[in-house]
Amino acid sequence: MNNLFKINRDEWFRLIQALSVSSYNIYAPVRKNGGIDYTIINDENKDEIVYNEAKPATPLKMFFLPVKLNVTEPEKVLRKTIIIGAPACDVEGLKLLDLIYIDEKFSDETYLSRRENTIIISTDCYVTQEHCHCTTYGINPYPENGCDISLSTEKDDHYLMTWSEKGDLFIKELGSSAQIEALENNKIESISARREKTINELSYKNSNLPGTEKTKEKINKSGQEIWKKYSSKCVSCGACSAICPTCSCFLLIDKPGFQKIKQQDTCQYPAFERVAGGEDPLKELSKRFKNRYMCKYVWKPERFNAIACTGCGRCIEACIAKISKNELIMELA
Amino acid sequence: MASDNIYKVLKATVEEVIDESPLIKTFVLTPESPFKFSTGEFIELTLNGFGEAPFTPSSSPLISDKLEITIMKTGYVTEKFHMLKPGEVLGIRGPFGRGYPVEKFYGKEVLILGGGCGLAPIRSLLYALEAVRDNLKRVVLCYGSKSPADCIYKPLFNRLNKIEKFETYRTVDKYEPGWDESVGVVTTLLDRVNMDIENSVAIVCGPPIMMKFGTIRLLEMGYKDAQIYLSMEKNMSCGAGKCGHCMMGEFFVCKDGPVFTYEEVKHTPDLWK
Amino acid sequence: MVLEINELKKVSFFDNYSDDHLKIISKISTIKEFSVKEILFEQYDKLSDLYILLEGTLSLGISLPKEKRIHLSNIQPGQMFSWSAGFEPCISTAWVKATSPTKVMAIDAKKLQSEFKKDCEFGFITISKIARTISNRLSDTRFQLMNQLTL
Repeated sequence: MNNLFKINRDEWFRLIQALSVSSYNIYAPVRKNGGIDYTIINDENKDEIVYNEAKPATPLKMFFLPVKLNVTEPEKVLRKTIIIGAPACDVEGLKLLDLIYIDEKFSDETYLSRRENTIIISTDCYVTQEHCHCTTYGINPYPENGCDISLSTEKDDHYLMTWSEKGDLFIKELGSSAQIEALENNKIESISARREKTINELSYKNSNLPGTEKTKEKINKSGQEIWKKYSSKCVSCGACSAICPTCSCFLLIDKPGFQKIKQQDTCQYPAFERVAGGEDPLKELSKRFKNRYMCKYVWKPERFNAIACTGCGRCIEACIAKISKNELIMELA
Repeated sequence: MASDNIYKVLKATVEEVIDESPLIKTFVLTPESPFKFSTGEFIELTLNGFGEAPFTPSSSPLISDKLEITIMKTGYVTEKFHMLKPGEVLGIRGPFGRGYPVEKFYGKEVLILGGGCGLAPIRSLLYALEAVRDNLKRVVLCYGSKSPADCIYKPLFNRLNKIEKFETYRTVDKYEPGWDESVGVVTTLLDRVNMDIENSVAIVCGPPIMMKFGTIRLLEMGYKDAQIYLSMEKNMSCGAGKCGHCMMGEFFVCKDGPVFTYEEVKHTPDLWK
Repeated sequence: MVLEINELKKVSFFDNYSDDHLKIISKISTIKEFSVKEILFEQYDKLSDLYILLEGTLSLGISLPKEKRIHLSNIQPGQMFSWSAGFEPCISTAWVKATSPTKVMAIDAKKLQSEFKKDCEFGFITISKIARTISNRLSDTRFQLMNQLTL
């Protein structure tokens, strides 16, 4: 682990092409829909891949927790998956999802199987987006543990660092069919400099935003008024949950033949907590609105000792009523 | 476990349907293969292609070829369950959750406060306690129902009163002619049980109102937060601590509970909802 | 009949009383026995004794016009009732009837009050216990009401 490799860009293209044909589905970000998002890579579009730019609109969780899935029988894995371009914020979010979905007693088999059959190649962010604020929550805008391989571009070369055994094995496998140079050191000056620059930019932009502990404290102690104020324009569409890298609640739906369909759900929809007798603790909109913040900033961190908001800012962009969680948190502070 | 896949059911056939009260029925099921659970753990019971709901078995955890589930008709899904006939096939997932830590009751007096359909998981606990009664000092069951007709498991009380170290007391909220036991809510029975509070545990199981009043009275009697065991009920879907529907504060009721001590959960919001 | 101090100590209502207090109570109280279906007192009766149920069962309720009795709850051994005897105008709020052979301890309310004038601490402890009984009765009644109003 933590082994650094260098591969020339043309060589990298050749490799991608070979892998996509043989045994892997490769997803990487390209420009589309006015932004960046994942698409399946083949020979025609491999040079459209966008590297080191924040960030794909789709959060990483969608690869492991699709919107709708029949979970009655184990999934057949025909080809393994490689995801290129997962930003550090999403990789951090995956840690929480692993804690929820993979445990000793009751593991979600589909999630586990998809995780095991996917190689995550994360990339650092040299360019950030308007609402990015990962550094506020102690996350760096470049990959650290949590991914299999991290990729940073520098002119015509890609630098790959392995972060897991799976990553090491993968590089070894590639090495037999491509020119990959193992490097002695594991730090490249110019890349470190770029990372510093991104961190400074983010810290400056988000200097007024309170960090993890203070946010938790303020939200936990808050009264009702602020939630009523910020939820006044909310329509419970659930876009914030859908696009969030760590929101993962679902509903189990029954189909004939004792089949179970797992479908994405959110506490933002009414009746999420409704019990058989008819009582619904989250019937009121402002209570539902507050519930998500309590869950994300207080309860999940307490329960799992992990970060539940990675500062990606997608919820702010996705909200059709333009409600900004950062505005709310800054007002609380 | 019903199956390695937490979403896959073990099939079970309905053997018998017992009418316990106007709104409550017990279903005796035969699972396709032996099904083991610990008392207080729950299962998700599926009505093929229709819906699923969580229930705590009311049968003995020592028996694995039959399972008894007591269901109260309260809504959409339970109404459908009540229409079941012998021979129909249901699906079981589980067992899930954290049950009653029976070993922690050894050497102590066990006070059980049950209300309404809350007697269902308690019956399973009583079977488990019966099996280890040599390790217990005393078991006292206080049960309250709305009316004599709503009192379930009537034969159980006769049987328990004949077992050494077991005592039962019953009460109804509303008097009906012919009832010759106590009248009043279940908390009124607490004045006559004379527990050795320091060396006992209290187990409360029933509708939220009853659990709230019961816990308050137990605390007033001198029980500490950690001595009171509650069985929390929440809307559940997956049963395995993933879908998020049953979250109560930082806890997944289906995984961290449904059995909690009052000490663990007293700070959570909407505790009695 | 009078109860010995050691017997009194077994009754939960008398927790935290000193031996002197128990001696006083023993001096000003008597043991009464009632048979099945005997009415101890009716709603609106004037009461002169505070009662503690020692053995047996009693039912408690209120009366509606045309003398219809509504049985609301039972009194359990160890519980105090007829607390109205301690407070003017000393009118009972409910009827109490024996549903099995019972034994109750009747404490003379007027004599008790004059003892309180001599020993304020004794008065405070007793009134606190009576307050606790009334509070529990109220809480149980609310619980009973909520059960009827909801599922």
